[in-house]
Formats: sequence, structure tokens, C-alpha cells
Amino acid sequence: MEEEVMGSSVQKLATGGAGDSRLGPLVERVREAVLVGPGVTQPVLRQAVEERAAAMGGRTRASGVVGPIPADLSEFVDRVAVSAWRVTGEEVAALLEAGYTEDEVFEITVSAAMGAACGRLERGLAAVRGEV
Amino acid sequence: MRLGVVERGHRIPQKLQLAMIRVVTRRRAVDIIRTVMYRPEFFGRPMNEWTQRVMRGPSEWAVWERELFAAVTSRLNQCVF
Repeated sequence: MEEEVMGSSVQKLATGGAGDSRLGPLVERVREAVLVGPGVTQPVLRQAVEERAAAMGGRTRASGVVGPIPADLSEFVDRVAVSAWRVTGEEVAALLEAGYTEDEVFEITVSAAMGAACGRLERGLAAVRGEV
Repeated sequence: MRLGVVERGHRIPQKLQLAMIRVVTRRRAVDIIRTVMYRPEFFGRPMNEWTQRVMRGPSEWAVWERELFAAVTSRLNQCVF
């Protein structure tokens, strides 16, 4: 009985995420706004940040975007992707001191969080489909 | 530190909404609210639509089940929201 319930739940999960055509467009709209939309940073940088964070979150299939990430950003991006709660005020202040504006830090942070979330979502959906 | 722009750099409509939240709840709006309200076209607006659809829209999952998933995920992320 319990197995049946679990099986049914997993099936629901497999059809209820980003792969679901009912949700896909909404996910894409967020991704498009953050990664392609107008901003103070270049979209190519946001996409590279997203890709790096997504890989750390479990994305198995790279999107093909492998842009350069400035060295002074990579540690921050990794921190946001893996353990955002450990980000300190000093780290943010260091980016501002390095010359990034607050809006740039905002966009980079959102892009990293978006990548981490999507990487985990893709990984989870692949798992319930039995692909990983 | 919080980013100053996310703390108090909102445009006038969002500033008014934040002020209303403060009046109604008698508390400063929480950080997640301030974040999604900052430059909402960049992130907050589409994110809110997604969140609303996932958490409250039609689904085989009950609302409480979805809230439970969200709570466990936040817990794993050490997030209080």
C-alpha cells in the first residue's frame, strides 16, 4: 500500500515540474528575464554565472554557454550556488570595493541563485524519470 | 550587509507597497519581499507568477503538500523563509 502511494507520488512529481508543459513557460519566463533581459551586466556574464551555478547544483547537460567569469566573482558565485546562507557582508563589500555596483552584484546573485535552483530542479526531475 | 538598492532603492510604486506593508503589519517588510520588489521586471514579477502557479495553481498535489516540500527545501538551504 505504502509503495503504491509512493509510486503514485513519484509519478506526480515526474509530471509536475519544469518538464511539465503547464509550468515550462513560466520557468522560461523567469530565466529569460534574468538571463536575457535588460540589465546593467552583460547577458553573457549572467548566463555564464547561471551555468556555473547550475553545474554545481547538479545540471548534467550543459547548455553550451561557457562564458568567462571574472576571477573575483567565481568564489562568490560558488558560495551563492552551494551555501548561500554562508555569504557574508564582507564578501559583498569586497565585490563593491572591487568596483562592482550594487545593481551588478544584485544581478550576479540572482543569476547564481537561478542557476543553482534550475540545476537542482533538472537533476531532481531526471532522477524521478530514472535517467540519473 | 544588505545591498542598499534592495533595502531602499525601490521605485515609487514599490516604495508605496512597502510602506503599506509596514503600516498594516507594523513591521519592516521581510528581505524576500524587498528582493522581489526591487526591479520587478528583472526577477520578482516572473518569479512571483511562477511561485503562485506552483504553490497555489491547479495541481495533483494539495497546497499543504506543496508547502511541506517548500519548507523542507528551505530547511535544507538553511533558509528561514
